[in-house]
Amino acid sequence: MSELSPADFYLPGEIIRNLKSKDREVIIGPGLCRNESDTKSLIASQAGYLCFRAPNTYWLEGRRNRYIPKKADLVLGIVTKKSSDNLKVDIGSAESASLSMLAFEGATKKVKPDVNVGDVIYAKVINAHKEMEPELVCIDQYYKAGKLGVLSNEGFVINLKQKLIQQMLNPENPLLRTLGRKFPYEIVIGVNGKVWMRANQCKDVLTLCRAFQIAEYQKETDIIGICRQFK
Amino acid sequence: MDLKKLKMSKEIKLSKSILEMKFMKKTKEKVDKAEEDAEGQAMYSNEITEEMKKSGNIIFRPASITICKRLVEGRLSFGGMNPEIEKLMATDYKKIVVEVEKRKEKDITDEEMAQRHSTVVNTISNKFKKKRNRNKKFQKPPTNEPLI
Repeated sequence: MSELSPADFYLPGEIIRNLKSKDREVIIGPGLCRNESDTKSLIASQAGYLCFRAPNTYWLEGRRNRYIPKKADLVLGIVTKKSSDNLKVDIGSAESASLSMLAFEGATKKVKPDVNVGDVIYAKVINAHKEMEPELVCIDQYYKAGKLGVLSNEGFVINLKQKLIQQMLNPENPLLRTLGRKFPYEIVIGVNGKVWMRANQCKDVLTLCRAFQIAEYQKETDIIGICRQFK
Repeated sequence: MDLKKLKMSKEIKLSKSILEMKFMKKTKEKVDKAEEDAEGQAMYSNEITEEMKKSGNIIFRPASITICKRLVEGRLSFGGMNPEIEKLMATDYKKIVVEVEKRKEKDITDEEMAQRHSTVVNTISNKFKKKRNRNKKFQKPPTNEPLI
């Protein structure tokens, strides 16, 4: 990602022109929508800096913190309601998501997974439309759970800023790896801003929380620089 | 002849009952995906032609931030906290990290190499210059004179 310049700053409703495309296709991320009156351009739907990734991807980077579900996102949710074959999961979006009891590995109509209200779930968004409630699953296309599923109740859940979440999930950011060299821990980061952590000692979990709290207000380059000192 | 046969064999469609068998799992996936793609394209092409009639223009595909920024999957374990997850991580996360680090290391060494090389070249050339300056200037021997 290149440096952000004030020329790339857009406010909601502003029109974005001169887009680079590949085979007449452009991939647009959050914060952008189509312009109905001029099909060559886009309209910004949030305030932020326009980012571009070669060959044809655009998105707006702002300070928005509300999670808007998108298909194929991996999110962390808390079960709020349980009925015979459906779960309601709070994933931080405007509407709570629904998760079928059959969408777990090895689940059938008779053998249902052991999930209770208050459990933390790592799931994939399979359906996300404006007019419908988002739909989650805990299996991949091979009907295997993989990394998805119910998380143990020994962990702690905290909410973090979207910006920090994206920084932590960037493979170039060594923050998690550097902390991993200090003490063993397990972490689950949902794109929706919820983070679940587990460590051997309570002290280590607090260290993680503190590290994230500090990292929230640091530049990404500074974080990388500090982590390099601990090599 | 052989080529023709090959082409024919590729177009053979497997029946549904065969695809349902356990050992045909991967082929089934392929067939399913091809079908889905074809369906999607058919739907998409309709949409495009309509749009193209209007202005003949760019197609926008919405995607999540994970795809835009190429983020990794968020379930990670360090220091042997959850061996199962670490086993799964070895196939994706660790590969990505190694790739990223390799790219970074290479970038740095290339730059450093170039800088260091240029400075070394400069200092050595300076050294030679001084020596030459100290010595008498080298004069080209006249060409018509015999060497011995």
